[in-house]
Amino acid sequence: MAISPLYALRETSINLWRNILLTTATIITIGVSLLMFGAFFLFDYAVANATQRWEGGIEFVVWMNPEATPEQNANILDAITTSPEIRDYEFVDQDAAYEEFKDIFSDTPELVEVVTPEVMPPSYRVVPVDPNADVVEELAGQFQGRPGVKTVVSANDTIRGIQDLADRAGLFLFIGSFVLLGAATLLILTNIVSAIRNRAREIEIMKVVGATNWFIRIPFMLEGVAQAMVGALMAWGGLWGFDRYVIEEFSDPDGLELLAGFQVSDNEFFTTSVLVLGIAIVVSIVGSLVAVTRYLDA
Amino acid sequence: MIKLENVTKVYKGDSVALRDATLDIGKGEFVFLVGASGSGKSTFIRLLNREEVPEHGKIFVAGKDIAHLGAWKVPYLRRNIGYIFQDFKLLPNKTVSENVAFALEVIGKPRHVIKKQVPAILELVGLTQKMNNRPSELSGGEQQRVSIARAFVNRPLILLADEPTGNLDPQTSVGIMKLLDRINRTGTTVVMATHDRGIVDTMRRRVIELDRGLIVRDQARGVYE
Ligand SMILES: Nc1ncnc2c1ncn2[C@@H]1O[C@H](COP(=O)(O)OP(=O)(O)OP(=O)(O)O)[C@@H](O)[C@H]1O
Ligand SMILES: [Mg+2]
Repeated sequence: MAISPLYALRETSINLWRNILLTTATIITIGVSLLMFGAFFLFDYAVANATQRWEGGIEFVVWMNPEATPEQNANILDAITTSPEIRDYEFVDQDAAYEEFKDIFSDTPELVEVVTPEVMPPSYRVVPVDPNADVVEELAGQFQGRPGVKTVVSANDTIRGIQDLADRAGLFLFIGSFVLLGAATLLILTNIVSAIRNRAREIEIMKVVGATNWFIRIPFMLEGVAQAMVGALMAWGGLWGFDRYVIEEFSDPDGLELLAGFQVSDNEFFTTSVLVLGIAIVVSIVGSLVAVTRYLDA
Repeated sequence: MIKLENVTKVYKGDSVALRDATLDIGKGEFVFLVGASGSGKSTFIRLLNREEVPEHGKIFVAGKDIAHLGAWKVPYLRRNIGYIFQDFKLLPNKTVSENVAFALEVIGKPRHVIKKQVPAILELVGLTQKMNNRPSELSGGEQQRVSIARAFVNRPLILLADEPTGNLDPQTSVGIMKLLDRINRTGTTVVMATHDRGIVDTMRRRVIELDRGLIVRDQARGVYE
């Protein structure tokens, strides 16, 4: 015996409408918490994209000319490996540099198309023993202008500051969204419990005439899921705006050079959207399942 | 149709509502359950509907031992059992025909079946004229007819009634009993708990008397006491 979709729809909308104030509060809470959650991910992606080459303690990057001779390369490598002040380094060859470029600029395929691995500069990413900014500056300067070297770029305090700030802001968003998600789950539960109380007589009759447990439960559970879906839709709209008007503003080509690459690819946006939707579904199913099993089944 | 074997029901707090009850109710029988308040009549009825589970013994309904029925099978048992309450339990924001249709809707009956069965049953209980009224616009007797229509619309094998005339005046009660009698004559087994001496004495059907959970009398064509 299947539950008729019309019946489920009717019962669900009656329940939602009867509690319209609580329903609205629930939807908004879910929406905001999911928005925060999604924003955390977008922000995290953007920061990672912008600071990709500065991860793992890397403090400066020696960019080689794509046409540098093997000797020039060997000289630089030798200088890096023999320096007691350098703890670690990573060589990024042209292919790897090209992959990274494609990653960062996957949103602008026009740009990716005109670039080939041959034009990408290989680079040495260097981790000094002492991360002190002056020491790093000094050390980086030793490579500047050497044969085969295109340029040397060091991660200065600004970038470290951004990473730091991003980490703290991200943590705040993450914790905040979890607290709100908890509140949203409780609101869904409350809303359903109140609907169950409102319909005590209907439920009693349903049980007496032989409606199955699932038949009784499903409209209530749909109620929870419907609220979460609307909330997720709201959050999705908000995330789109966040990406379009906040994150992309940062990576404006006329803006700070430092922030180039601070953006989110379509793939990352899609992943975030799916994640937000998935969390909405999980949270609402958990909330409604608790409600119907605790308060419905005698 | 219904068979009890050494059934004992004990509630929390040691009140024994049914003691070692053994009896047989055949298909198409009409049985009155009588006894003082608290003697266990409602408990007896709730056991048949699997609203309660006995501590000891077996209860067979239509050949199945319902005391040991899996929880998911209970709804299907109840589709064969109509239930009539003393206080009607109609849904106030639904019309008469919607109240009756509800019982079919929630067990997943298709629309065309509902469209056919609801008017037929309302005809049987004499409420065709009032099918679009709400319960608040009906007399007590009419409300009980709606509740009987709802219990019987799925043509159950058994009809359980817990003091169905308890809230009605004697004259209205007679009308309700005539209706139950008609339903019984279609072959439906009826088990009815009552305090109504007049009804039991005029109908002269099987009477089972309970006293503090014990069956103290089981009389064919019996009287109230
Ligand atoms: N849910 C319950 N929990 C605990 N004890 C109960 C419960 N239901 C009934 N009882 C007890 O079981 C005994 C039988 O109650 P029951 O309701 O079956 O009597 P009854 O014959 O229907 O009474 P009445 O004529 O007043 O309706 C009583 O002592 C009552 O207090
Ligand atoms: Mg009783």
